[in-house]
Amino acid sequence: MAEENNINQLPQQSTKKKRDRIGLVLYVFYTLLLIVSVLVLVKLVYFQLIWKPEPKIAGPLTPGIVKRTIEPVRGNILDCNGRLLAMSYPVYDIHMDCTVMKAEYAMLKNREKAKMKEDEWLGKARQLADGLAEVVPSINADRMFSQIKEGRASGRKYLLIAKGVDRTTMLKIKGLPLYREGANKGGMIVENRNIRKYPYGKLARRTIGFVRDNKGLPEEEIKGNPGLEGHYDAILHGTDGREYLRLTDRGRVRNYDSSYVRAIDGNDLRTTLDIDYQDVADRALHEQIDSMNTLNGACLVLMEVKTGAIRAMVNLSRDPYRSGHFEEITNFAIGRRYEPGSVFKTVTLLSVLSDGYVKNLDETLPTNHGIVKDTKMKQDIHIVDWERENKTREISVRDGFKISSNYVFGTLAVQNYAKQPRHYVEKVYSYGLGDTFDFDLEGLLTPTIPNPDDKRVWSNTTLGNMGFGYVTELTPLHILTFYNAIANKGKMVKPYLVEDIEKAGSVTDRRGPSVLNASICSKAIADTMTRALLSVTDEGTAKILRKAKCKVAGKTGTSFGTFPGGGYSDASGRKKYQGTFVGYFPAEDPQYSIICAVFSDPSYTNYRYQGGGIPAATVKTLIDYVYINDPRFRTTVPKK
Amino acid sequence: MEQKRKWKVSDLWELIKNGFSAILTGNLLLRLNAGKYFIHIAYTFLLFWILIFESLMAENALSKVERNKAKLHEMEIIYSDKTFEVASMSRRSEVEKRLAAMGSKVKEPERQAIALEKR
Repeated sequence: MAEENNINQLPQQSTKKKRDRIGLVLYVFYTLLLIVSVLVLVKLVYFQLIWKPEPKIAGPLTPGIVKRTIEPVRGNILDCNGRLLAMSYPVYDIHMDCTVMKAEYAMLKNREKAKMKEDEWLGKARQLADGLAEVVPSINADRMFSQIKEGRASGRKYLLIAKGVDRTTMLKIKGLPLYREGANKGGMIVENRNIRKYPYGKLARRTIGFVRDNKGLPEEEIKGNPGLEGHYDAILHGTDGREYLRLTDRGRVRNYDSSYVRAIDGNDLRTTLDIDYQDVADRALHEQIDSMNTLNGACLVLMEVKTGAIRAMVNLSRDPYRSGHFEEITNFAIGRRYEPGSVFKTVTLLSVLSDGYVKNLDETLPTNHGIVKDTKMKQDIHIVDWERENKTREISVRDGFKISSNYVFGTLAVQNYAKQPRHYVEKVYSYGLGDTFDFDLEGLLTPTIPNPDDKRVWSNTTLGNMGFGYVTELTPLHILTFYNAIANKGKMVKPYLVEDIEKAGSVTDRRGPSVLNASICSKAIADTMTRALLSVTDEGTAKILRKAKCKVAGKTGTSFGTFPGGGYSDASGRKKYQGTFVGYFPAEDPQYSIICAVFSDPSYTNYRYQGGGIPAATVKTLIDYVYINDPRFRTTVPKK
Repeated sequence: MEQKRKWKVSDLWELIKNGFSAILTGNLLLRLNAGKYFIHIAYTFLLFWILIFESLMAENALSKVERNKAKLHEMEIIYSDKTFEVASMSRRSEVEKRLAAMGSKVKEPERQAIALEKR
C-alpha cells in the first residue's frame, strides 16, 4: 500500500515542481516588467516636473502655435470694358543661407577632403553668381560672388540675392548651379509676396493711383495718394484673416482647436475709364508737348455728356528729379486752380442770355476803342485792330465771342451787373463754378470766386476782369463740368470715375451718374450757346478744329499765371502761359465733352501755348480717334 | 455615547502594504476583482486606440490640405502671371508696335465702321 502511495505521489510532485518553475519564470518576467514600468513612471515624472531641455532644442521639442495673418487679395481696378488697370501680382524675394554644409565639411576628419569639398561648394557659388548675372541684369557677378563668400565666412544665413522677381525668373534662378541642389545643400530661400502691378504701365497713373502692395495705407498716405487706390483703399484692401498653425511631422498645419478668421478679399472697382481712349489721349498730348522745353505740365479730360462718366484723364507734368520727361505726377485736372481766361467768357455769355440782357448773338455793342466804360481797365488793343480791319465802330456779341474779345465780355459784365455784382456772382455759383463736389479722387480744389462784399478783393475792375476769366480761379474739371452742362441742354451732371463696385464679377454697389443741377439754363439758350461755340471752331480762335472728323463746339482760353507778388510777368518780362481748349462733339448731338489745358514755365514766347495751339491740336487727335472708333458714331445700313 | 470610528489610520498603512505586496506578487488586479471589468477596460483601450488613430488621420488630411493649398497658390501665381502678360500686351500702342514689327499692314481705321441694322 505504502509503495502504491509513493508511486502515485511521484507524478503529482513532478507536476507541482513544473508549476513552480513556470510560476517562477512568470514571476521573474512580471518583476522585470514591473521594474521597467516603475522606471518609466519615474522618468515620466522626472521629464514632467524636473527636466529642463536646453534652450537650443527646447523650441523644436516643444513647438508653439504660430499665429499667421492671412493677407486678403487686393481687388482689381478695371476699365469700363473690364480690362485690368491694376491687379495683385506675385513676386519672389530670393535669399541665401550662406552657411549650408559648412559645419558638415568642417566635421570631416580628413582635412584635405574637407577643404576640397569647401572649394567645390565655392566653385558652384561662383557659377551661381555668373548665372544670376545673366538672369537678373541688375546683378553683378563678381560682387555677388564676393558677397556670398563673405557671407559664408561670417556665417550669414539670410543674404539677399534678388528682390521682387517674377515666377519665370525665379524658376530660372532655381535651376542654376548650387541652387538646383535644394535648400539643404544650396541654401536657397524663396519667399513669395504679392505686389501691385499696373498692366498699362504709367497710363492714367495719377487717376488710378499707386500702391506697392496690400499692406494697407496709413491715413496720412491715403491723403497723399490722390488716385483711386488711395481713395478706395478700404474697399480694395479687403479684411485681414487670422489662423493659428502648429508644427507636425508633416509640416505646419492649421490648428483646428484655435480660432480661425477667414480673409475677405477686396472688392473690384470698375471705373469709367476707357483705356484705349486714355492711351490715345496720352500719346496725343505727349506728341504735342514733349518737345516744348518751357512747358511745365498739361492735362486732358474726356467726359461723356449724358452721364458725366470720365473716359480719359491724362495729367502730365515734367519730372524735374528723374528723366526731365513728362510723367503722370500731378493731377492738374482736379488739383490745379488757375485763372481760366477766355473760356470763362462762356459763363458771362450764358448769364446775359439767361437774364435776357442779350436776346441774340447778333446784338451789337459800340467798340469804344476797346475801353470799358466806367472802369480803370486796360484798353483792349484787339478791338482797335477790329475797328481798323472791319471799318466799323460796332461789334456783335457773336464776333466778340469768336475773336475772344476781352473788351466785349468786360463790357457785358460791367454794363449789366455793375449795379448788382452779387447777382452775377450768384449766377457763377449756380453754374457749379463756385463750389467743390464729392469726387472719386482726393484733392479736388474749391474754385476761388471773389466776393463783392469783400472790399479788400473787390475793386472797380473786378467785375470787368471776371467777365473774361480773370480774378476767378477754377480747376479744369470745374470748367469741363460747366461746358458739359451746356452740351447736355442745361442739365449739369457730376463727373465720376467709379461705375460700380464688384465682387467676383457681380455688382455689389452701383455708383454711376448723378445730377448736380437739373437745369442751369433753358434748352433754347443751350442751343444758342452751342451756336456761339461753333463760331469759335468754324472761324474763330480754334479754327484748327474745322478739320476734325465731326463738328466740334468749343472755346479757347489763354491766361497768364501770377508770380509771387501778384504780377503777371517776372522782372525780365517772362510770362507763365495757361492755354485751354474746352468743348464738346459732335456739336449737333453732343456725346462727349473734352478739355485740354497746358501750363508753361516763365517764358518769353506764347508760341502754341495759347488755347488754340497745343490744346486744340491735342483735342483734335482724340476727337478724330473717338469719332471713328466709338460704336455710337457708326453709320447703320438696313439688312437686305 | 461616543460612536466608534469604523477605520483607523493604521488601516491605511495596511492597505498600502497589502497593495504593494499584491503588486509584487502580481495579484493586484485579481484582488481588486478587475476581471469583471475586463470588457470595459478592453473597450477603453479600443477607444484610446481609435482616438490616436483618428488624430493621426486628421493630421495626415491637414497636411494634405496644406500641400494642396500650396499647389493651388502656385496655380494662382501662374494665372496672375499670364493674366498680367496678356493685359500688358493688349495696350493699343503695344499692339501697334507689334504689328509694325511683324511688318503687318493693319493700321487704325480711317473711317467709321458701317454696321448692319438689327431686325
